[in-house]
Amino acid sequence: MTHFPILAIMAYFLGAFLIVIFGRNRGVRNTLGFLATACPLVLMIALVKPVILSGQTIAYWMGGREPAGGYAIGIALEVDALGLFFGLLIATAVFVAMLYSFSYMSHDDNEPQYYTLFLMLCGGVMGLVLSGDLFNMFIMIEILTFAAVALTAFRNTATGALEAAFKYLVVGSIGSSCILAGTIMLYAQAHTLNFAQLAAFLPGHLNRATVIAYALLFIGFCTKAFLVPFHPLAADAHGAAPAPVSVLISGVLTKSGLYGIIRLSYILFRTMNLGTVQFWLVFLGSVSMFVCVTMALAQHDFKRLLAFHSISQIGYVLTAAGLATALGVSSGLYHAMNHTLFKGLLFLCAGAVLHETGTTDLDRLGGLSKKMPQTTVLFLIGAFSISGVPPFNGFASKWLIYQATYQKAVESGNIGFLFATITALVTSTMTLASFVKVTQSVFFGQLPKEYENVKEVSLGMRLAMGILALLCILTGLFPGFVTTYLTEPAARAALGANSYINAMMGSGYAESFGLADTLPVRFVSAGVWSPISWLCVLMIMLLGVCIVAVASRYDQVSALAASEAVPAPAARYGSGSAAEGKYELFYGGEEAVYSQVGGEDLFWGFKHNWRGYFRFMHELHSGIVNDYALWAVVALALAMLYAMVIL
Amino acid sequence: MTVILDGLKYLAYILIFPGFLFCFLSGMLLCGIDRKLVARMQKRVGPPILQPFYDFFKLLGKETIVPSAANRTVFLLAPLVGLAAQVVLQLFIPIFSFSAFRGVADVIVILYLLLIPALSVILGAAASGSPYAGVGLSREMVTVLAVELPLVLVLLAVAKTVGNAIGSGLCFSLTDIVRYQVRNGSLITRLSMLPAAAAMLLIIPGETGSHPFDAAEAETEICEGMLAEYSGKPLAVYKLSSAVKLLTMTTLFVALFLGGIGGGIDRVLMGGTAGGSIAFLIEIAVLFLLCALLVAVCVSLVHAVTARLRIEQIFKYYWTVVTGLAALSLVMAWYGL
Repeated sequence: MTHFPILAIMAYFLGAFLIVIFGRNRGVRNTLGFLATACPLVLMIALVKPVILSGQTIAYWMGGREPAGGYAIGIALEVDALGLFFGLLIATAVFVAMLYSFSYMSHDDNEPQYYTLFLMLCGGVMGLVLSGDLFNMFIMIEILTFAAVALTAFRNTATGALEAAFKYLVVGSIGSSCILAGTIMLYAQAHTLNFAQLAAFLPGHLNRATVIAYALLFIGFCTKAFLVPFHPLAADAHGAAPAPVSVLISGVLTKSGLYGIIRLSYILFRTMNLGTVQFWLVFLGSVSMFVCVTMALAQHDFKRLLAFHSISQIGYVLTAAGLATALGVSSGLYHAMNHTLFKGLLFLCAGAVLHETGTTDLDRLGGLSKKMPQTTVLFLIGAFSISGVPPFNGFASKWLIYQATYQKAVESGNIGFLFATITALVTSTMTLASFVKVTQSVFFGQLPKEYENVKEVSLGMRLAMGILALLCILTGLFPGFVTTYLTEPAARAALGANSYINAMMGSGYAESFGLADTLPVRFVSAGVWSPISWLCVLMIMLLGVCIVAVASRYDQVSALAASEAVPAPAARYGSGSAAEGKYELFYGGEEAVYSQVGGEDLFWGFKHNWRGYFRFMHELHSGIVNDYALWAVVALALAMLYAMVIL
Repeated sequence: MTVILDGLKYLAYILIFPGFLFCFLSGMLLCGIDRKLVARMQKRVGPPILQPFYDFFKLLGKETIVPSAANRTVFLLAPLVGLAAQVVLQLFIPIFSFSAFRGVADVIVILYLLLIPALSVILGAAASGSPYAGVGLSREMVTVLAVELPLVLVLLAVAKTVGNAIGSGLCFSLTDIVRYQVRNGSLITRLSMLPAAAAMLLIIPGETGSHPFDAAEAETEICEGMLAEYSGKPLAVYKLSSAVKLLTMTTLFVALFLGGIGGGIDRVLMGGTAGGSIAFLIEIAVLFLLCALLVAVCVSLVHAVTARLRIEQIFKYYWTVVTGLAALSLVMAWYGL
């Protein structure tokens, strides 16, 4: 059992290398890919019993080089409930993305290269979350960053793919360098890179150098999670990358950044002035949440829009995780899990649309629900989940986040946390609005003529989406199960460092540094999830359907007459192609500006009032990589300054 | 045995009171009163008060046309889901000391459930494929966004005030909010709650989509927008849910700000002890009268004297004036004024 973590990481890398050698044949390649992603999933599930149910922490020393004399020199892997939680998430998302890739990528050239990079990326992330020392973490970050850059530009003939990869490369490298610099500074101070030993050492040695190291590492992980101000990279990368890679970037890679931030703030630097660190995390989370959702409202490319929502949801996670309460961290992790599931589902749906129609431009699509009914249903499940509509999973986790933020506001008497609650609620509505726009623009509305021959995607792709949709529903219906068996143990692991230290360095090690855990109390969630009330919803719905539909020939008359009366789209919209003038009907009045309804202007009334803000954002997001690099440097400087101030 | 009895009890809640039947009757009646009042204020005779009932049954008998561009399932299912959610919402709002779902009446659930009817109308409109519906749904979504922020602030202000008083920080249970008022008098009598109550009064017409905040329907301009393609039974269901929404929003106002009246009734009738079926019937009657009064003040009167606003004006109005009022209340409540 102690070998499971290393086997999980090795399975990915081994798969990657074997595909390079034997991957010419499709059957062999797919088998290898399937095995390389299925094995880690099985191994992670096998670890649930010892790590989560029995509360063990698994420490694994490579080559048996265990610490001697209180110094850990060897390479270590360590799996506690927090690491395993992320490991499970990653293994699941990767497995589903692999299933989807089989048919999605089958028309691309260079398939072996794709699978190799894919598995390298997965191995990197898995290695990162299971790693027990800082330098290993850095190596894994390098592997995953470069694999992700290469995958972003995988379809390098597509517009913007190389540009996106270049931007990612530049800013991602700045992030990686920050992590390296932070690692070096910590090593210079503590003479060790082992997490457990660092966690024991650092609380007594908080000085300028170590807090600057914190700032460097923090900014490094922020670039991996694409938090503000690194969000433009995510949009470009997602816009260009193939859909399964988007699943990896949003569902897996951003999680590695979050994992780093949580590990860093709660295990390594846990005695840093927590109140101010909390403020920093919650502030950054709320800003990410709001800025990215407004950016998403302004998009008219399906995948770019999803990319901004992805960061907005990561903002929720960071806000909640930054609260440093059991409920806060637990709800943040819950939302992180849901984010992987629903965001993966949405990106796969966008991929399905792209696969069939060849575009993700919201202004050109429309009416696909008639041609792709199953994808539409799956997309709606994802959209409801991300907007937090009950009874899908987004509702459960967002509910916990609201509760966590307002409880924090009450306990600390700080009205600032209340703003986080308000931001979260308003952002949730805006998310809903944005997905209404996508639904209206892609799946409903008039079907443009060029898409009349569009078909439903293949079974393999629907299966992958179906798995995620099912998980979205299940994790929404049984929130008690999820919190008890997944997020709460992980939150306890994050907030109680002593067991982590002792598992690795031998029992009593943490106590010898005079560290004491204040284990968080179990929280009680405000009882909203009474199944009976949701049973009522279902009953009433059923009843309504029965009464109206059966008793009175609800939908008998269809629109035979109406269909003849409606002229063909081209005739209706006058000159220009139907795609150009989706809503041409409304232009040409005296003031056309007052009936803006196209894909990008669905929220005209909202945007008109915020035009100053949107103009500002538009100018800010120049798309020039120099600017984004500058933002990174400025963010780093601010973080360092803040770290110096709070010391 | 108790399980069956409980089941029957909840079934009665859902079907009769305060579920479907109650919602149907009083919602439609409120709608009729509104139409009559507006007509009288404009010196017209106006339809009979029972006109919404006639309309409803007439529509049920009409044929249902599904446009060829529509997604059939969503187009036809959306009205039903909207109505169901609207009725469920009503179940969560306590009527003085009575609440159908005790202990789960959480403020944030209500915030969420308020979104679902709007969402279902929007999805139905999107599924109809009509450009008129497209314009309508865009405006409806903006209206929802506009109303959401002040509504959140109002609910937080109330939660904070009651939480302060009962010593739990923030009180997010509507049942507790109402119980507190039954014991200690209505919240509207407090200085800090006055701006919130005013904001809520302004939210009601926005939430129910009545004049001057009805840019999303605007029948003279975009043919009722989202309902443009609806006919027959689905249209009847929509009319019913918007009537129920009138009831829901006014009941919510009563629960948030006028809950103390229930205590008054108990004191007068029962000498201070709560309960009794007569008292309960009187409470329902009082509730209905209050709802009608609220409709008269913030829906009919406003409707009769204003002209329709443009959508960006609606948004601006809510995010400045109404939000300002609600925020003022929240700040006052936070500092215990």
